[in-house]
This record gives sequence, structure tokens and C-alpha cells, in this order.
Amino acid sequence: KLNIDVDAVQRAVEGLTYLLTESSKLMISEIDFQDSIHVLGFSDELNKLLLQLYLDNRKEIRSILNELAPKLPSYHSLEWRLDVQLASRSLRQQIKPVVTIKLHLNQNEDQTAQVLQTDPSTLLHLIQQLEQALGEMKTNHCRRIVRNMK
Amino acid sequence: MRFRFCGDLDCPDWVLAEISTLAKISSVKLKLICAQVLRDLLGDPMEYEKILKLTSDAKLESGDVKATIAVLGFILSSAAKHNVDSESLSSELQQLGLPKEHASGLCRSYEEKQSSLQDRLRACSLRLSRLGSVCWRVDFTLSSSELREVNEPLIHLNFNLRDGEHGETAAVPMVLSAEKFRVLLAELKQAQALMNTLL
Repeated sequence: KLNIDVDAVQRAVEGLTYLLTESSKLMISEIDFQDSIHVLGFSDELNKLLLQLYLDNRKEIRSILNELAPKLPSYHSLEWRLDVQLASRSLRQQIKPVVTIKLHLNQNEDQTAQVLQTDPSTLLHLIQQLEQALGEMKTNHCRRIVRNMK
Repeated sequence: MRFRFCGDLDCPDWVLAEISTLAKISSVKLKLICAQVLRDLLGDPMEYEKILKLTSDAKLESGDVKATIAVLGFILSSAAKHNVDSESLSSELQQLGLPKEHASGLCRSYEEKQSSLQDRLRACSLRLSRLGSVCWRVDFTLSSSELREVNEPLIHLNFNLRDGEHGETAAVPMVLSAEKFRVLLAELKQAQALMNTLL
């Protein structure tokens, strides 16, 4: 319908996509955008159109680009149970407490589950380490950084 | 302040905030809403439209209705989890600011369903897999490519396992000779005897 080569249309679409994603990625100001496309030597009307297109779609493009970052599996929920092993084939008259944990994780809408087992002393050690990690937030070093970020 | 129905910990802030929402509903209607929430906790579907009708008099927004359901669900399941009797629950809820009639209505519904709720929670506890069924078959091998006269019995066993939540079945087939099977049976009988001493 435009009476142009298929290749030319494809290159035009790719060029426009690149222009918009790079500008949105770097969050450049209006003036910088105008200066950049001025170099291409288009008409003023076309420049104004491109600028409007950029400003209208900038937020949406940024939110889509945000989701493309690689994500690690994130915590969903935790189930646990406490058992006591009283006997096994090789040894009778035992008393061995065991904590079984099922960790539910979310990764890009996939749900996976990991089953872990531990004895109570390792569990206490784990809790202690996690509380220490939380406690790091209260040190002066972290507080300074958080204040500067706000 | 430590509360038994919260597992001897502080009451969560959101529960405290929603107690005042609960007080806005009349105590009779609250008991009916409790009945619906208990149905949901016991695994039957909850009739959300009935709850909407019951809360319409109190002029609650849709967010408040959901919060009411959530806080009732928390109170009832947490009390069942920590095996709190209904009088203690009633007095703790009144300490949190719930009016006396509301608390007693709630606790009467709780008391009726406490043991079924605990049974249901016990069934939902973490369990890695369950044995669905066992199928067996005894064959007699006459001969094989290695030896002309074998004349040995052979047992085929198939254990059907069911995964806890998703209900996926996995089959574990195996073949045993007579001696191996006798050993397996003897060990399992010992384990069964041990289990019987605990029951």
C-alpha cells in the first residue's frame, strides 16, 4: 500500500523500535531527543511527531523493559512438619527429631517446590544467621546508604 | 501483649485494625458470616453472595468485606491450630476490643466446629507422598535363554504413589525373587509391630 520495498519497511520499523527503546531506556529529556533526531535531517513536522510518540509511550516502554530483567526465583510460601524418628531397619530405640520443610518458590509464574530436611540445631543456626542478616539493616553503614537513596 | 490464639505472640497489626470493622456488623449477622467462613476452611465452597447480603446493612465497602472474611479466617484457623478453648478465645477477643455479644457468637460457632477444623488441618499438613495402592502378581519361571530348567517363583509388585497436593500418581514397579520377598515381608512386619506399640 505504501509502494515501498518490503526490506525498506522492515528496516524502518526496526529503526523506529531501536530509537524508541534506546531513548526510553536512557530516559533522555525532550531537548536531548530533539537534538538527536535533528541530526537525521527530517522535516520539522516529522521531528515533532517523533517527539510526541516518544513522550506518549515512554512510560509503557519502560515498564515493559523493567520486566525483561532476569529474575531469580522468589519466595512464595513455606510448609513444615516436625517428626521424631523412633526406629529404623538398622537401629531401634532411637530418638531423633527431624524438621521437614517444603519451600514453595515462584519464578516467572512457574511454581516449584524444594523439599529440605534438617535437625533442630541446624535450624536454630539457620534462624540465627537470618536474624543477623536482618540486623545488618540497622548498622550505621546500611542506614547511611538508605538515607542517601531516599 | 501475648495472645494464646496467636501462638503466644503479639496479635498482628492488621487483625487489630479489622476488629473495629467486625464490630460494625450486628452480632447475629457475624455468626452467620462465621458459619460461611468455617465452610470455606473445612473445604466446602463459601457462598460469597450471602456474605455480601449480610454485610450490606453495615454499609461496608468491598475491600472491608474481604478484610472481614480474612480476619475471621485467621482467628478461627489460628485458634484451632493452637488448640485454644472457646472461653479463652472469647476473653482474648474481648481484650482486643470486640464487643461481648460478637465474641460469644463467634466462639459458639468455633466451639461447634473446633474438632472438625483440627481434623481438616491435620489432613492438610505437609506430607511428601502417599501410598495409593499395591498390586501384585506371582509368576513361575519355567525356563530361560540362560538355563533350560529354572522352576523359580517370581513376584511382580507395583506401588502406586500419590503426590500430596497435585494428586499426580507415580507407579513404582519391581520384580522380586522369593527370598528377597521374604526378607522384605519380615522387615515390614517388624516395622508394623513397632507402629502398633505406639498407637
